[in-house]
Amino acid sequence: MTDLTAYRSAARAWIEGKIAEFGREARRGLTPAEDLALGRRYLAAKYEAGYSGISWPRENGGQGLSPTEKLAFDREEILHGFPTEYFSISLGMPVPIMLRYLPDGWKQERAIAALRGDEIWCQLFSEPAAGSDLAALRTRAVQDPDNGDWILNGQKLWTSWAHLADYGVIVARSDPNVAKHRGLTYFWVDMKAPGVTVRPVTLAAGDAHVNEVYFDDVRIPDAQRLGPVGGGFGVAMETLIIERYSATDPAANGPSIARALADATRMTRDGRPLIEDGRVRERIARNFATQAALASIHRRALLSLEAGTQPGSEGAIHKLVSVRNRQRLSEFMIDIEGVSGVRWNEQATRKDDWATSWLTAPTGRIAGGADEMLLNTIAERILGLPQDHRPDKGVPFNEIPG
Amino acid sequence: MSVLLDEAQLQIADEAQRLVSAHYSGERLKGYLLERGAFDRELWERFGAQGWTAICYPEAFGGLDLGLLELGLVAEACGGAVTGVAALTSSFAMGQSLLYFGSEEQKADWLPQLAAGSVIGVVAFAEGQDMLPRAPRLRLEAGRLSGSKPAVVAGGIADGAVVLALGADGPVLALVDLSQRGVSRTLLDTFDNSRCTADLVFDDVEAHELPGSIDALAAARAILRLQAVIIGFEQVGGAQKMLTTARDYALTRRAFGQPIGAFQSVKHRIAEDYVLVELARANAIHAASRSGESDFGLYAAAARISATEAYDGVSRDAVQVHGGIGVTWEADLHLHQRRARTLAVEAGPLIFWEDEVITELQGAAQ
Repeated sequence: MTDLTAYRSAARAWIEGKIAEFGREARRGLTPAEDLALGRRYLAAKYEAGYSGISWPRENGGQGLSPTEKLAFDREEILHGFPTEYFSISLGMPVPIMLRYLPDGWKQERAIAALRGDEIWCQLFSEPAAGSDLAALRTRAVQDPDNGDWILNGQKLWTSWAHLADYGVIVARSDPNVAKHRGLTYFWVDMKAPGVTVRPVTLAAGDAHVNEVYFDDVRIPDAQRLGPVGGGFGVAMETLIIERYSATDPAANGPSIARALADATRMTRDGRPLIEDGRVRERIARNFATQAALASIHRRALLSLEAGTQPGSEGAIHKLVSVRNRQRLSEFMIDIEGVSGVRWNEQATRKDDWATSWLTAPTGRIAGGADEMLLNTIAERILGLPQDHRPDKGVPFNEIPG
Repeated sequence: MSVLLDEAQLQIADEAQRLVSAHYSGERLKGYLLERGAFDRELWERFGAQGWTAICYPEAFGGLDLGLLELGLVAEACGGAVTGVAALTSSFAMGQSLLYFGSEEQKADWLPQLAAGSVIGVVAFAEGQDMLPRAPRLRLEAGRLSGSKPAVVAGGIADGAVVLALGADGPVLALVDLSQRGVSRTLLDTFDNSRCTADLVFDDVEAHELPGSIDALAAARAILRLQAVIIGFEQVGGAQKMLTTARDYALTRRAFGQPIGAFQSVKHRIAEDYVLVELARANAIHAASRSGESDFGLYAAAARISATEAYDGVSRDAVQVHGGIGVTWEADLHLHQRRARTLAVEAGPLIFWEDEVITELQGAAQ
């Protein structure tokens, strides 16, 4: 047995021991506050068991292992619907990036608190006028010449879990007189500081985990700056690629193919199971073929990582294909359900309900890299096709027509 | 478990790419389109000399004892160059039928020659729209074969065949030497004449059951699956070639003051095609790695679906990206357009493999 196989089976055993307490079934019917509390307890248990920060250095509260062990653990963990979503951004990007830039001491205390689920960090990047085009952001950071403090003013949008967050990382415009990428600076902020206002934004399906965050004369010391003045875009890009590769679900966190098959077998039309209908067979079979390919791509990416090579386009392919696939299948499964297909269950999750999966799918095609951006990435980085025409290239930010 | 290619496999892939592309000539391939019954015999002989016809046979029969993946890599190279050699996959299917279900004598008679490439084999299962007819019209009575098989790939050039026929107690797989009196072949005009597709007619011809194929439909299905994976690789090779061709053209052709690949309508189309190719490649490799496992049928079917979607889709788009020049006889794109549809149909159409996926998923769910 290789070390990795042994690691994986130990991880699986530990995870399986936690299903009753923290799994999908255990969460059913909990209030948001109860679910968050359950999530914090799960993270604490994970920390005590040595499965937190698996690939982080030990001095930062991690286990000092490689991304391979982390992926091995995540692949098992992802199966059971544990309440980890509140912490995935926090531990995936903001905390690792601040660990890279801040001096020792305080940062380790924060990292351990975050790993244990006691504290949550959010990532304040997108704005009303800056989504895919992040460098177009308008939140201003003006330095006080007297003491070097920075004064933040502006609005962030789509900030996941900001309403729960203790801290955040933020990119703001420190110099509007230079080209848009060059005038940005990166900071960390205390989300409880005076002048920070968080307002939830309810998404189409009724869930409210994203927020708009207002900064009104929020004063932060220069010591909270990460990277050089004007170097914020680079730090932001570094933040986004910290997690080079993560565990994925070919069903894009929607209901599984097995579920589609079971539903189509249960439902009948003219007394015959729908699974006997060629149109149903075609949709499910093709969807399965695509999911099988994504699973295979994922396994090969893991093997590449184990062999020491960096993954390439796998993440982009997965995100582009899996969510569209889920969207189409969910739409179709609502369709074949017939007139009852319109039923809505407030308690259901996207993993166990076609309607919820369908109504939340558009978010998946936009958040964290819209389909169009992923296609650009594949076309430009992998196929070497030209970059889009960009009229604002090299133009000082304050001269770009608004 | 999916696999990463090892050194030896990468070497086979490189060698195959090199040999096949050095041999590529659009002009010669177009010649095969115009002439029924012609195929690239010179390249076929090189396949034999190279050992590629021997890849999936045990050493005892002159084989190299390698796996589906190795043969798949050769097929992928062939797909990229739209080679006019249907025999690689047709001989493979006949040979595997004998290897799995034939008698020792049948193996000894045919496998060394199939492995050497000195004879060409085919399988003939389908009739009408049925890939695996439950009651074939072709009859085997007292060791004599009568009836016909339609549109047999490489049927015009084959020396031997394994056919699905109706015996006294139901369907049987039977071995037949096509050089016998009483065998007649009618070459068909097809949109890819290099396949040497022919109707085979048997008039009281000697044939022998494959003793291992008690359940002949299951046996034929097992052979189709093996063949489907190899043809899946061939489709991936063709799709990859069309992707590269479209990309290269989009970088050089200019319109409205820039390369057409700078327009999102073109670049996103090509990026989507890249995704189709990668999905198909992943499924082909995974299926090859599942050979012999209980879920092989499921993944072979998935590989076929993705491969057909990819080759059809990418060759269609590649023509579109080229604009007017893409639809000419002069440009080689129609070679791929033709081959994409040919391979899609020959090894079982999408509706067949979609049913296979559902049946296998249902089996796994019970």
